[in-house]
This record gives sequence, C-alpha cells and structure tokens, in this order.
Amino acid sequence: METALSTFTDAELVRACRAGEAEAWNELVERYSRYVYAIVTQGFRLPPADAEDAFQEVFTRVYTKLDTLRDDDAFRPWLAQLTRRVCLDLIAAAGRVQPVEEVGADDTTAALDDFDEAFTVRQAVSELSESCQEMLDRFFARDESYRTISEDLGLPVGTIASRISRCLRSLRSQLEGKK
Amino acid sequence: MEGDEYLDLTIGDFLERLGTGRPAPGSGSASALTVAFAAGLVTMVARRSSDSWEEAGGVAAQALALQARAAPLVLADAQVWEEALTALDSAYGGAAPTGDLERKLELAAAVPLQIAEAAADTARLAALAAEHGDGQYRADAAAAAVLSAAAARAAAHLVAVNLAVREGDDSLESARISEAVAGEAATRALEAAA
Repeated sequence: METALSTFTDAELVRACRAGEAEAWNELVERYSRYVYAIVTQGFRLPPADAEDAFQEVFTRVYTKLDTLRDDDAFRPWLAQLTRRVCLDLIAAAGRVQPVEEVGADDTTAALDDFDEAFTVRQAVSELSESCQEMLDRFFARDESYRTISEDLGLPVGTIASRISRCLRSLRSQLEGKK
Repeated sequence: MEGDEYLDLTIGDFLERLGTGRPAPGSGSASALTVAFAAGLVTMVARRSSDSWEEAGGVAAQALALQARAAPLVLADAQVWEEALTALDSAYGGAAPTGDLERKLELAAAVPLQIAEAAADTARLAALAAEHGDGQYRADAAAAAVLSAAAARAAAHLVAVNLAVREGDDSLESARISEAVAGEAATRALEAAA
C-alpha cells in the first residue's frame, strides 16, 4: 500500500528525516537502496562482502551527515558523491593494487550518469497511471508480446502498441517536467 | 556486457558463416536477423515521421525494444540448434539415451517460437508505421512488415518440423498465430503504402 511518505519529494523526505521521523528514514533507505547498491556493485564492481559493507557505511554516513546537506533538493547527487567516497575509502583501506584515482575515472563517472538517468526514469514511471506502469513494465522489462499483454489485460491486441506509445508520451511529459 | 559472437561480426563475415556448410548459423539465425533488420527499418520510419505522427516516438522506442529482443536470438538459435543436433547424432549413433535429448529439442523449438513472436510484433508495428508514418517512408515500413512476415513464417515452420513438437502442441499453435498475425499485418502495410 502506498504511504503518504512514498509521495514525498526528496526534499520533503529529507526534512522529515531531520525532524526525526523514523518512518521517513525507512522510506529514504527504501527509495535509494537500489541506487546505492547499483553504484557499489556495478559502478565500482565491489565483491559482495565489500558491497554489503559499503552499503551499510553509506546509510550510516547519510544518517550522521544529513545535516551537512546544503540543498535538500540535491539529495540524490549528494548521496551519489557520498557513495563514491565510501567505495574509494573501502578500496584504499583494502590496499587494492589499483590506484584509488584510477578507480574513480571515466568509466565510473559514466556509470553514475547511467544510474542517475535510470533512477530518474524509474521515478517518472512510478508517477504514471497504474495501467501505464503495467503496460510499460510488461513490454519493456518483461519482454512480453503484444498478444500476451492483450490476453492478460483483456485489451484488444490491435490497440496495445498505441497504448504503449501514449504511455511513453506521458512519461516524456513527466521527465520534461522534471528538467 | 559481454560480446555476442555473431552480432560482433561484420555483415560480410556473418554471410560467409551462413555459407560455410556448417549447420549453424542457419535459417533460425537468419530469421532472427531479419526481424532485427525489420525493427530497425520501423525505427527509422518512426523517427522520420515525428513531425506528423504523434505516436512516432513511442513506436520508435518499441521497435528498438523488439530489435533488442530479436538480435540475441541470432546466436541463441544457432546454439540450441547445434546442441540439439549433437544430441540427435548421439541418439542415432546408438549411444544410450541421456534423457536430455527431448529437452534440447524443446529448446530448439522454443527459440524459433520467440523469433516468430518478435516477428509478429514487429510486423504489427511496421503496419502502424505504414498507415501513419510520413508518406515518403511508408514503403520502408511496408518492406519491414513483409520481412517480418517472412521471418515469422520461416520461424513457425522451424517450430513445426521440430521433433519435439506434435500437432496440437501449444508452441506450434502459438507459432502459427504469430505467422498469421504477421502475414495480415504485412498485407495491411502493403495496402497502406500502395
């Protein structure tokens, strides 16, 4: 079930966290756990045990340093930077052969950009109607055919492609509204 | 992402592989590649039609997704077909049944079924593009629909001749529906682009 907190913007959620609302912290972790995990495992390719440590450390630092965030609307880039720092610290502490400077080079920056983009799209999708979310998820994420979508949702098969196009138009509007 | 043995080849090298006399890549791979080509054409037509067709962006995105579905099937079909042939050779050679012959034959039919489904969806999308896309490019959309229909028909045939598939089988039924859908879409597209 959707809670009121799940509809909060990042800035509203950050303010609720600062006000000491435990549920707001849960929502913040829930909202960003995949994002952090993606940076840790795909951006920095940390092995599972280190990734778990990094994940815990990131949210510990978020908890202790949230007051240092200057712009509540900029929580996501701040979190990305913090996660990057945690990963580099972990790599340095482990005395890996690869120099720390090289780890944070272009590849990782590009990966962070990709995660950011993916996260933005995911958030925008979550603001679409349920039927659009369902349609886009089935076609683009689950690779379902028009016929399967039509049968499962009880819609005429000839209308599925157009419906998906309309949902994508709504998604574009959502994303353009965020710029 | 790891490379794809076939998709990393030049078109010339792939064509050479088709003609080497080895069983794979074969007709399944060629059908999958045809679907990927057709989806590329639909993407092109949709992008060229964005000024006059409200759904163009969405159709282009769907065509790209269908291309991304079809492209890996080029290699997948070759792999499952080679494995099925190896298992069949063992069986004909008198080797004791390993129990996985049927499973490999089923897999060899499952990939062409996926190709047929992707072809049917690409043909539907191509027909939409032929009906609503920019007039100058409708012929390309119709060509994409015809290519998709051919691929669907070929893939459905591959499902039908697979030893693991019997008349009345769900896979065969599904492949034939895809073939019919793609054929109808191609007819519609040709009429729209005439």
